[in-house]
Amino acid sequence: MTGAPGGVSVRAGIERQPWGAIGAFLLPAFTVYVALTAYPVLRTFYNSFHRVLPRKGDELVGLANYAELARDELFWRAVRNTILWACASPLAEVTIALLLAVALYSRIPGMRFFRIAWFTPVLMSYIVVGIIWVWIYNYDWGAANALLRALGLEGFARAWLGDPKVALPALIFITTWMWAGFNMVVLLAALHSLPGEVIEAAELDNCGWAGKLWFVIIPLIKPTILNLLVLSFIGKMKIFDLVWITTKGGPLWSTETVSTYLYKRAFEWTTFDLGYPSTIATVWFAIVLTAVLGLTWLFRQRERLEY
Amino acid sequence: MKKVRLLLAAAALAFAASAVAQTKITMWSHWAAEKIKRDYVEDAIKRFEAANPGVKIEASWYEKTALYAALKTALRAGTAPDFFYAEPDQFEYMENGLLLDLSSLNWAAIEPWAKEAWSYKGKPYGVPLEAWTVEVFFNRKTLGELGVTVPASLQLDSAAFLELAKKARGKNMTPMALGVGDRPYPGAHLTHEALLKKLGTQDYDNLLKGKLSWSDPRVVDTLRLVKTWVDAGLLPTTFTSLKLGEAHGYFHTNPGAATFLNGSWYTSRAFNPPDKGGQPVNFPLGIMKFPAIPGAACNECRTIAVGGSYVGNAATKQPKAVLAFLNSFATPEMANRWLENVLVQTGIKADHSKISGPHAGYFKDLAATSAGAKYYFGIPIQVMQGKPKEVFTQVVNNAFPAGTIGVDEVVKQMNAAYK
Repeated sequence: MTGAPGGVSVRAGIERQPWGAIGAFLLPAFTVYVALTAYPVLRTFYNSFHRVLPRKGDELVGLANYAELARDELFWRAVRNTILWACASPLAEVTIALLLAVALYSRIPGMRFFRIAWFTPVLMSYIVVGIIWVWIYNYDWGAANALLRALGLEGFARAWLGDPKVALPALIFITTWMWAGFNMVVLLAALHSLPGEVIEAAELDNCGWAGKLWFVIIPLIKPTILNLLVLSFIGKMKIFDLVWITTKGGPLWSTETVSTYLYKRAFEWTTFDLGYPSTIATVWFAIVLTAVLGLTWLFRQRERLEY
Repeated sequence: MKKVRLLLAAAALAFAASAVAQTKITMWSHWAAEKIKRDYVEDAIKRFEAANPGVKIEASWYEKTALYAALKTALRAGTAPDFFYAEPDQFEYMENGLLLDLSSLNWAAIEPWAKEAWSYKGKPYGVPLEAWTVEVFFNRKTLGELGVTVPASLQLDSAAFLELAKKARGKNMTPMALGVGDRPYPGAHLTHEALLKKLGTQDYDNLLKGKLSWSDPRVVDTLRLVKTWVDAGLLPTTFTSLKLGEAHGYFHTNPGAATFLNGSWYTSRAFNPPDKGGQPVNFPLGIMKFPAIPGAACNECRTIAVGGSYVGNAATKQPKAVLAFLNSFATPEMANRWLENVLVQTGIKADHSKISGPHAGYFKDLAATSAGAKYYFGIPIQVMQGKPKEVFTQVVNNAFPAGTIGVDEVVKQMNAAYK
């Protein structure tokens, strides 16, 4: 046995661990985790292989739900929309947020006002934001079309949420407007933590504004940018509220996301079966998890190559 | 000792009193925002409680979407109320044995077609309180200004209807208020009523059930006709986002429309006071029949649907009290009270000759549009299930009347939905 400083053995140390107290402290969190996270996840996975109806036993259907899902064109349409949203939105949000953060970092006039104004949208719930934007996008009297008409661009006025060609981009614009401020605050914090001497050295080398941003600032805050991209990606892969308030997935499924489709299958189709909706949830969980692990791996590989 | 006896006696009395009043039954219902219907049901509850002192009914009011989601979860979890609001298209309730068998109700007081709408495998499951027809409401003053005269038959032909749309648009007015912002069916009224007239009840039923192709020339012709109305700018430019409640205000208040295609339950919102969303005082409301369709098999055909109903929870611990309360609706008096106050049809047999009150004239107008009618029971989404229902909602309820897609696309999408 290895001796320990002070002559106390490791085994004796372990034996003196207050296991009772540790268990007592862990139990509440562990119970909540098992009841509200682990069990629902496992149950959803179990349900996906069954037909689950009230007042009837669960009926094992094997892979039938998965086979049906593979042929379900509405599901794949929802997958396409969601992935498009999850890819486009983070890039737009973080790019705009970076520009706004740099503007505040360089102390533009009225920066306090702009910091609050740009951050405010994220303080509102998707419900409120959805209602506001339904008004803004109203064909007759909404601000979007009023602005276009005022600018003499009447031809571009349209029912933004009623036209399948533009409904999804219109919603992506809303989430970009909503989340750019949040990303801006995080990036601003990252900018303030940058070592001043590196920026000063770049200035001494006559590096211009764009050069400093591209060659100095962005590389230094890259970990923050990547984290924001991944967080935004995950958020958009789960998006539900905004779509439900504004379009309910229409018109013609052009804004249908996996979450809205799952909800419809679980609560709006004339069935009580939870098996098929559970299959959607299981498959989508696997896709999101794979995507996040893939992105994380990709970002790590790139870091290794650079350093 | 005497004091102890008195205390014991008082306690026994209190216990007995609580035992008498201990039958509590719970109800979840739609119509939170429809005061007239809510008042009617609350009045029925008061009457029932007065006649049955041992029973207390605890009512919770919802809007329909929230109610349906809450019920689906509660029924699965076994925490649903003793009885609740439902509509007959929700046959998943009956399919899964979740509803109380209502065979013992006084069915002699209920219209046979309404009982049929709520029957599943030979047993009835719902009290069909509300029945409704699809009506074309119009503003008499506006139609007068447009130079449109509604004939004595109360039915314009399709060309006259198209002319109405063009004249209204010519005066920068919306010809017909209608919106699908929060409901899966109002936009489809335009198409399904036209199809019903063109095909007649049997072929229309076949169409909805996938036994008749949407490529049938009669269907295509009718869709083309509806498309001419849509292309003439019949519907609001905000059609896709306009909510049902907003569509009411759009018609009678702001900005105003010449007509409004809606269920006959229009009254439950419009006959509220104006400051609570009702139509203006002395609003010149008229009702006409849906336009006649050229070459129709049945221009007198129209849709009647059983709407708001009450059903019992099969798992209730108070089935007798639930049955007794639901049975209290099944009388001609309750049916007449419904007609007088709600001014919407009901599935309970009523004595129309006894209807009185300030809106009796309105009810006569409503009855006139149904004179000689042949009915098809249920709107399409009450008949369809699964994918055809979803596709119908997106295509026929929304994209087609919005003008986003044409006739060929409707035919293609609907045919594909049944495969």
